[in-house]
Amino acid sequence: MIYDDGFSNHSFIEINDTTGDDQYIINSGASQIALFNTMLPAVFEEVVQLDSLESASNYSELDAVFFPAIEEFQVGLPQKTRLNVYEIWVKYNMRLARANGDYIADWVMTAYGKSPEETFQSVDAGVNDAANVALRDLAASFTLGLSNIPEVNEWLRSENVLGE
Amino acid sequence: MLLAVSAAIILSSCTTTEIDEFRQSATTINQDESIVILGRRQNNNYETEESFVGCVADVVSSGQNSISVIDEREFLDAMFPFFEPRTAPMRTGHLEQLMAVDVAAEKMEEFGIEYIVWLDGITERSDQSGSISCTIGPGGGGCFGFGTWTDDSIYEAEIWDMDTLSSVGSISTEANGQSYMPAVVVPIPLIARVEANACSGLGNQLKQFINGS
Repeated sequence: MIYDDGFSNHSFIEINDTTGDDQYIINSGASQIALFNTMLPAVFEEVVQLDSLESASNYSELDAVFFPAIEEFQVGLPQKTRLNVYEIWVKYNMRLARANGDYIADWVMTAYGKSPEETFQSVDAGVNDAANVALRDLAASFTLGLSNIPEVNEWLRSENVLGE
Repeated sequence: MLLAVSAAIILSSCTTTEIDEFRQSATTINQDESIVILGRRQNNNYETEESFVGCVADVVSSGQNSISVIDEREFLDAMFPFFEPRTAPMRTGHLEQLMAVDVAAEKMEEFGIEYIVWLDGITERSDQSGSISCTIGPGGGGCFGFGTWTDDSIYEAEIWDMDTLSSVGSISTEANGQSYMPAVVVPIPLIARVEANACSGLGNQLKQFINGS
């Protein structure tokens, strides 16, 4: 897999509507990397991390290269939504390519999580709870749904990975 | 003492609970078998509270004719990714498909689960009225006013048999109660324990149901 800078250093900034200043900053890059580093080895036989597509040529046995990217990141805060929960919604763009860069598949996945309903929850705890649920949601849908993506399914069949 | 007794009487009379049971098949459970109680969290508008699921689990696993209950969080983590809100089986047909997956069936076997109980519902507050205002000054402080509200708990438990991979019945509970908060210098809470009563009623009925009573 390749994690570009935008993914590795992803952060979300919630702006204060009144003052225009940064109200909350959510740095999710490290969590995203930890998630994919846990998830991908569970789905693929062997996983190596590359710096760029060019370094793929150093691995003769490479079947594919995987690029995750975050297209959108939204946070729902109780002070704005008037609910007693924190919500996180993430839209990912997943790309799979051959070692030479040829396209295999490009698809969108979403993840949603919300914190348990509590009246006096701190922002840190609420956002953390919501993020945990969202990341679990992505991991579940990715691991169970990957082979159902049509282009991915076609590629897996061409590699004789899926049975009849 | 008289005030405490009066308060207890008022509290106990502020909640009404109704429980209905629908049985489709006979049920029984051995000492070495367990159940797991899970909350439904697929709905966009609400999620079955973890605290309520935990409460029902406590009622079922304690007292006379108690049943061994696997902790919800432990089960969800061990069975990941098969019982997440997005991936959990919604019907027994889906459960059949899930049990065809070797790793899922093995994990279930390890836990020794005989029944899965799905809890679906919510406790909501309605009809809130009144107000209490409190002040504090050099001579002291206090509150004055009156508040009242109604809580409604509606939950349904559906029981799935892991031997037949079918639903064996359901238990629904509806509880509502009126709470009062008069404030004369200090607030005097007279809280109707609606959710607790719903939990207790549902838990005890569930215990009887699974034991085959």
